[in-house]
Amino acid sequence: MKVLYSQIKELVPGLKADPKEVGEALSLTGFMMDGFDEVKFKNRRDYLIGFEVRQNRADCLGVFGLAREVAAYYGLKLKLPEVKKIAAADDPACAGGRLDIKVESEKFVKRVLAVKLAGVKNGDSPAWLKEYVGFHGINSVNLLVDLSNYVMFLTGYPSHLIDFSKVNGGIKWSLNHNFTEIKTLFGAVVSLKQDQEIIIRDDKNIIALAGLIGGQAAEIDDKTDTLIAEMAIYNRAVIRKNSRSLNIVTEASHRLEKELDPSGVQSAMELLVALIEEYSGAKAISRPFEFYPKQYVSPTIEFSPELPSQFAGIAISEEKALKIFNDLNFTVKKSGSGFLVTPPTYRQDLEFPEDLIEEVIRIHGYDKIPAKEVPKLQAAPDITPKNIVLAEKIRDILNALGFDEILSWPLTKPEDNAAANYSDWQAIAAQNSINDLYPILRQSIASGLLIQLDEYTKKNIKFIDIFEIGKVFGEQGGKYLEHESLGLMSAPKDKSLPEFKNNLETLLRSLGFSDLKYFNAKIKPALANPSSAWDIYANGKVIGIIYKLRPPESKLNVYFSEIDITLITEMLKGVKNNPAVELTQKLIYLDANIELNKNESVYKYLNQLEKKLDRKNLWALTIADIYPLPARLNDASRSGGENKTRYTIRVAYKELSDQEAKKIHLKVFDL
Amino acid sequence: MSENKVKNLIDSLKRDLLSARLINDTEKIWRQYFGDSGSIKLALKEIKNLTVAEKKIKMPLMKQLYQEALDLFKAKENLLKGDKLKSELEAGAEELNYDLPKIGHLHPITKTIREMNQLFTRLGFSIMDGPEIEEDEYCFQRLNVPFDHPARDMQDTIYIKEPNVLLRTQTSSIEARVLENYKPPFKIVSPGRVYRNENVNKSNHFIFHQYQAAAVLNEASLKDLFGVFNVLLKKMYGPEVIVRYRNKYYPEVEPGAGIDLRCFNCQGKGCPICKGIGWMEIGGAGIIHPNVMKKAGIDAKKWQGFAFGLGLDRLVMAKYNITDIRTLLGGNLGYKYYENESFI
Repeated sequence: MKVLYSQIKELVPGLKADPKEVGEALSLTGFMMDGFDEVKFKNRRDYLIGFEVRQNRADCLGVFGLAREVAAYYGLKLKLPEVKKIAAADDPACAGGRLDIKVESEKFVKRVLAVKLAGVKNGDSPAWLKEYVGFHGINSVNLLVDLSNYVMFLTGYPSHLIDFSKVNGGIKWSLNHNFTEIKTLFGAVVSLKQDQEIIIRDDKNIIALAGLIGGQAAEIDDKTDTLIAEMAIYNRAVIRKNSRSLNIVTEASHRLEKELDPSGVQSAMELLVALIEEYSGAKAISRPFEFYPKQYVSPTIEFSPELPSQFAGIAISEEKALKIFNDLNFTVKKSGSGFLVTPPTYRQDLEFPEDLIEEVIRIHGYDKIPAKEVPKLQAAPDITPKNIVLAEKIRDILNALGFDEILSWPLTKPEDNAAANYSDWQAIAAQNSINDLYPILRQSIASGLLIQLDEYTKKNIKFIDIFEIGKVFGEQGGKYLEHESLGLMSAPKDKSLPEFKNNLETLLRSLGFSDLKYFNAKIKPALANPSSAWDIYANGKVIGIIYKLRPPESKLNVYFSEIDITLITEMLKGVKNNPAVELTQKLIYLDANIELNKNESVYKYLNQLEKKLDRKNLWALTIADIYPLPARLNDASRSGGENKTRYTIRVAYKELSDQEAKKIHLKVFDL
Repeated sequence: MSENKVKNLIDSLKRDLLSARLINDTEKIWRQYFGDSGSIKLALKEIKNLTVAEKKIKMPLMKQLYQEALDLFKAKENLLKGDKLKSELEAGAEELNYDLPKIGHLHPITKTIREMNQLFTRLGFSIMDGPEIEEDEYCFQRLNVPFDHPARDMQDTIYIKEPNVLLRTQTSSIEARVLENYKPPFKIVSPGRVYRNENVNKSNHFIFHQYQAAAVLNEASLKDLFGVFNVLLKKMYGPEVIVRYRNKYYPEVEPGAGIDLRCFNCQGKGCPICKGIGWMEIGGAGIIHPNVMKKAGIDAKKWQGFAFGLGLDRLVMAKYNITDIRTLLGGNLGYKYYENESFI
């Protein structure tokens, strides 16, 4: 909303503050200054000040409303222009006939006021008016249209002018039942839907999309002699909905989709009629048409004078609060120890006692509330969930292992998501993502890390070790699911999968997991080399996946692993990890060779072995060597012709003598 | 036994020590002079053949000569031991390499969030998160956002299943869930990712990050809120930062506040960056609206709360000299390995 400083000065005669001070004052009271330009208006230096008007203050979408705020802030009087009253619609003394207007869509229309004027001489606007509408980014059209816009900028109320000679029969406000399109004032053809939009129509044509934009059928032009000026207030939700569905946003819709006070229509129309009469020589010739079934009555709100101090944290006296109410034109009545306050009808944003408290504090000034003291807040329990703490720990460990954190888009391309997915959840698509190429919520972190990998490769970055912690999503059984996930990717030139796996295992063991196993992945993502993809088991549960990617074009070896952080958070709650051991004897290391078929899992073997060994005397169980047996050693008669691998299993025993350890070792390995 | 004999032996010892080059040579010399059959040892044993009177005269002298011989030997032995250690150390010495070690980095958004979390946990706040696929109820209705509020429009909100399932547009949804699920008192911060249906360009993104805080306590005023915010801003921007608190409407708070920083570029004089107004808006705040409390089943007469939210991405961009918001999520963020950094 843009305001000229000269206008504020004229409306608030006692104002001493300079333009910047006015801007700062309104900023403090809820209307942030968002523009400040020195301009020339009517051949004088002036200042065009822009303000942000929030959704709740429809009363300040005009110069008069903002001037009223300035007056209240400085405790000054507001002086609005005095104009001739128009007759009441039911005034029998009023000359002229009745207008043939009906409001059929009563549910959506709060008020319509229309006046017929004849003897219009339309043409170019005076220079000042052209300048003024230009400040608001609008091109001058003609005198009548410019005056209509001018009144909207002053009062906040949009109006619509209809060339009476182009009207066929009567005028109606109704839901659109028949028209499939409208050609707007700007020449654009807009397709319409049945029973969606409120329109203004005559017996033949559609005249306007109510609250949004006029049509060409009855538009004002230089030949217009007789016109109908109308102002209307609608159910704001309908205007907003139609504005969005038709993609039409105008100065009128911007105002009418907010809670404008219907009672303000009267004075706005009087100003418009007065200006049309003054500048075009026209005369009002009809009784005004009025549809105003239900007048808005302001609520009466209880006010406790001690509450502004409590909310602000500083003392604000009752006297001060009452003065502020008076400056804001509120009606105040004493009631017990408090007051009953009735705001004017244009303050439709006020409903609760807290609204009144805010009024007092904002006019008193937020700048009077000290911010330099560190508050002594009441103590509260720590309710931080464990997954947040765990994620931070993971970041630190991965940092120490040389991994860089990246963040990527959770929305992905369908094909990228499908290639990375290994869950049994259904993919979720956004209905209206602005980025059509990326509609799918990722099911694996891999898709984002791969984009980063591509960028790093293109940019010739070496040693790619990256990770991301974020949400992955999916639908199952009609429910939308998500969990926090860690994705880990390495593209080392001279490292191998075991080194990548060791990094992962360092992480998991540091977090507290000790029982880690890897078995062939049950669901292998399309990205993975199917011969190098394993589910990661911790304490008997699948917590993630590790795989080598299919060879990419860059020919890098790329490894990826993903861990379900939400799941491991739960699992780690029950883990009591105590690696501290009191040692009184030296450790005894003994090896044993075993041979397994290619399809036999060494992890399964170790798992069984661990059960046979007494944990009390077990220090460590490791694979010291892996040796694929050459064909000549692969005794077909012994093995059934299968390829075998020899594993050297090294057991470290604790708290045993040499003889005791050897005895157990021979027994466990059947040696 | 004569004194001269011992002196001669010492002279002989001196010569042998002089020619000794290795520690093993000293072992041989020890045996030759000081061992059980060593010449000095044997010479000293002759003392027992002297009379008491002779012993009384010669004993101190002989002791002195023996000590002299021993000192000469020890000095040489220590010297050769040192030489041995030196040669061993030299043989086992290694050179430093000059490769740059790989170090890991946290994303600037994470680093900034950590910095802020660190401050708030010191002030007794907990850290919370919530779902990114959110229900309309928690993203809007419980936050007193009227049904026809612009934030609910298709233009702003990315829907999963309109009208009830969406991607959260603000981290206030976490506040709504905490209000519902926890009994006061509580103080929380909730950093997180949010989604808006907006075009992606150099300064706007449809995915960005917010930092939300909410406290519901037996007393909470705007003064408390501004005090907390001031601590945060001093920490993030330094003690010289100038902050402005002003009234601003947000549906979920009442009274509401907008928070501005004095423009870094023009120091408040007005420049293109601040659109001539001298201030840059960084966040919104206020006392939690009684409707929000009521919807969560919290008695607004007994408990008071404040909340604030701020956008993280621009803050991070300013701090890390990133000029294009797309860099934060788009793959262009690289890390240098040789620059000194202070880790949080």
